[in-house]
Amino acid sequence: MALKFLVVDDSVTMRRIVANSLKTIGHDLYVEAGDGREALAKLTADDSINFVITDWNMPEVSGLELVKAIRSNEKFGTIPILMVTTRGLKEDIIEALAAKVNNYVVKPFTPQILKEKIEQIISGSTE
Amino acid sequence: MDNSNSFENIFKKLGDLKDFFVYGQKLIPILHKILDFMHDTVPLLENVNRSIQDSTSKIPKAAMQINSITNANEIATTEILDIVDGMSMDIANMQTKLESLKNKLGEDEELNAVISTIEKINAGMLNITISLQVQDITSQQLSSVNHLIQSIQEKLAALLIEFKDKEISELPAAEYHFPKDSTFNADARYDKSNSSQKLADSLVEETLNKATQSEIDKLFKKL
Repeated sequence: MALKFLVVDDSVTMRRIVANSLKTIGHDLYVEAGDGREALAKLTADDSINFVITDWNMPEVSGLELVKAIRSNEKFGTIPILMVTTRGLKEDIIEALAAKVNNYVVKPFTPQILKEKIEQIISGSTE
Repeated sequence: MDNSNSFENIFKKLGDLKDFFVYGQKLIPILHKILDFMHDTVPLLENVNRSIQDSTSKIPKAAMQINSITNANEIATTEILDIVDGMSMDIANMQTKLESLKNKLGEDEELNAVISTIEKINAGMLNITISLQVQDITSQQLSSVNHLIQSIQEKLAALLIEFKDKEISELPAAEYHFPKDSTFNADARYDKSNSSQKLADSLVEETLNKATQSEIDKLFKKL
């Protein structure tokens, strides 16, 4: 099944970089959201989204709040989530993992790292 | 008898008064020194007050300038990304054409060299895109600086209120709205050493292993 990504970041630049990286590693299907609130609206409206890549620091609803909201949602609670963020401290990573992100990427990242993490999540969820 | 007592009392009081004047005479130079000190200190305090007021009124401008740097950086980064995207598309088209030429001409050393160079250029374009993540990281650092500036402004405003009962809202350029805390990470670093990623990887692995162990435990409970 083709992956359709929801790329969530308040920085337009970062959304483009993530989108370009996805294209580089062979994923052309994606939609974008500027914060957690918009992301939740898109997830509710679009059933075909089956992968979330989210930043942490965002206005309105942060990435971490988004992860918690997704995980507590009956409709899309099991969707794979990859956190891509500048937060590289141990306590941050532990907090994100406790909120049930599937994997974690620290910026700056390369398309190869993104590919590796996506593949790890997909293989893990299909095992 | 009563009269002699009254005079004794009066002389005692006069003695006390004399002592007071003697003590007062001794105090006068000290009071002079205190007055001189106050005379010197008041203008100094007024200078401090003016300086604080001046600095406080300049802070919103500094914050706005930082914000405009962030915006300019984002615009410039978007422009670079547009150019890189355009060039990447051109390179992809060139690669397709060169491959088709290679199929027509067969193996050609010069053509292979051109294809190899174009692949290098393409990799370089990708590296430019990756490096542009610095914009997001620096914008978070700048937001963090703005947050710090806001804290200083609040402290200075509190001092001003104590000095002159003058509120910060009365100051001329205090119109800048600082960003919310949640939109930046004060510890954001442009670090390509991968050390944070390695830490994340080990913690993710640890968490996955823990999950596996809990699943095993659940399985044993079922048995």
